[in-house]
Amino acid sequence: MNVSLRITLLIVLSLLVLAICPFFGLTFISPAVLTVPDHQDAELFWRLRLPRTVAAFLAGAGLSMGGMIFQALFRNPLATPFTLGVSSGASFGASVYFWVSGAFLVKVGSLGPLFASLLGAFLSMFLVWSITSSRGGFQTAIMLLAGVVINFFFSSLVLFVQYISNANDSLRIMHWLMGSLANLETARLAELAFVVIMGGVFVMSLAPQIDLLTAGEELAASRGVKLKTLKIEIFVVASVIVGTVVSLAGPIGFVGLMVPHACRLMLGWNHRSLTPTVFFVGGAFLCLCDLASRLILAPAELPIGIVTALLGGPFFLWILFRTNSAGDLF
Amino acid sequence: MTNQNNPPKPNQEYILETKHFSFWVDRVQILNDISFAVKRGDFLSIVGPNGAGKSTLIKCLLRLHQRGRSTGSVTVEGLNLNSYTQKQLAKVVSYVPQAGGWIPPFTVRDFAKLSRFPHASTVSGLSPSDELAVDQALETVGLTNMAKRSLKTMSGGERQKAYLAAALAQGSDIMLLDEPAASLDPRHASDLATLLTKLNQETNLTVIMITHDLNHPLKTGGLALVLAGGERRYFGPASGLLENGVLEKAFQHEFLYLDHPYGQGRLVVAR
Repeated sequence: MNVSLRITLLIVLSLLVLAICPFFGLTFISPAVLTVPDHQDAELFWRLRLPRTVAAFLAGAGLSMGGMIFQALFRNPLATPFTLGVSSGASFGASVYFWVSGAFLVKVGSLGPLFASLLGAFLSMFLVWSITSSRGGFQTAIMLLAGVVINFFFSSLVLFVQYISNANDSLRIMHWLMGSLANLETARLAELAFVVIMGGVFVMSLAPQIDLLTAGEELAASRGVKLKTLKIEIFVVASVIVGTVVSLAGPIGFVGLMVPHACRLMLGWNHRSLTPTVFFVGGAFLCLCDLASRLILAPAELPIGIVTALLGGPFFLWILFRTNSAGDLF
Repeated sequence: MTNQNNPPKPNQEYILETKHFSFWVDRVQILNDISFAVKRGDFLSIVGPNGAGKSTLIKCLLRLHQRGRSTGSVTVEGLNLNSYTQKQLAKVVSYVPQAGGWIPPFTVRDFAKLSRFPHASTVSGLSPSDELAVDQALETVGLTNMAKRSLKTMSGGERQKAYLAAALAQGSDIMLLDEPAASLDPRHASDLATLLTKLNQETNLTVIMITHDLNHPLKTGGLALVLAGGERRYFGPASGLLENGVLEKAFQHEFLYLDHPYGQGRLVVAR
């Protein structure tokens, strides 16, 4: 099967998943009732299921693209959208918010943790940026180390905040860290869609340069890529997409690792074909995970981050034990 | 890079010229006062001991260094190196890196296609003329029937040819090579050298190559630049390598000079 046929097939399949998912859940909603005015199921579909599925799709698309470009930038299969500490920054922001709002009895709306985590994400971005630029040339190795350090730093701070919070706030923090699409308001969907779709278009415009970057930094520069500019663009676009998604849905792990990996196995390394495929497959994948999270413990709901993490472990074992013709992982 | 001493002067006599070029990374000086010039169609071999600054010099000419500062000037096709954008420079100068290290996850043809980036438009991608340039480059190095092979599954010798094809596909007038034959067996090294000499003579490609094979410049003629300790020790016709203990001083080592048994000039062997 040639590559463009595979891409078409994957995208069609993903759209199918997106279209079907909202009908399933605790109860099946028949497509026939959708147009019936004031029908209870139609209400459920339009007000809850559809927005939530779309949110899952956008979050999955964003996280997967973030993972894809970080893996290309670091030429490392284990790079994730969270490698540079964006998500632990966001987690720290959210934790502080829960702790402070608990301590001062501020009412917890959904905008509070959103802004707090966005602030945290930008703080971690700013720190990684400053450390990397201070050494000159925006070197990838420095960026990676800075990211890892900032990641650990904020993760420890999250634990610290959790430790000093009371049991109630601590539980809320823990819940947030598991990631969930349950609290995502419909009003936020437009923002999420804007960031993820614009991000996708921008990544697509960088695709030929990202291909060259996977071939090696010096090689890319010798072929006309402005390395520093490209690296900054990748860093910023991935951080903004991932920061936004994490602020809205919490740090949902493994999506950004699994989806780009699986797509590369099927399509190779051409980012012109990879970008749209990763976008749609990532979206569909998280839709399915969200469906699973609503069904496994029904009527209770499992945090989606647990579902993706449960899938992520076996997936990586499989990657580890399979060898391609060249005998390596990547 | 700064350019205090030599204001840019269009100088079409030389396709590439460096004047009093020095380069520092942090406070460590790596190159000191390097001057040389090559004309269109020249073949320049850069030789010298490890750590002489050969690769650094090549990378400076390609502007691959992400850090560091320099003085003196580099002129490419009559224009100051700093006046080029990275894309414009890639149209004029191509690069074959040292073998080894990270192997790009592409097939031979896809890898060569990446070299058309400076020519292609961002929106529509590669044009038929880009595809043609890629096909021609593969044919020149004799890899047409391996176009769909993954670089990862090739032998070192084949892979180096693929790198050469990729640099050819770039369609530039000058090609810089950093020890392309290092780690190749004698046959593949000789194949590569023959191919380069042929390209240089038949297509008038200007070749600047770092090599540890001292006999290659002696055999093919052309120019030689000897570097040691970041300084220029010799620049001129390759035959000059045999004179005045140039090699002995640069390498701090003794050499034997032998007559070629088939009368093809002289051979040099490290003692």
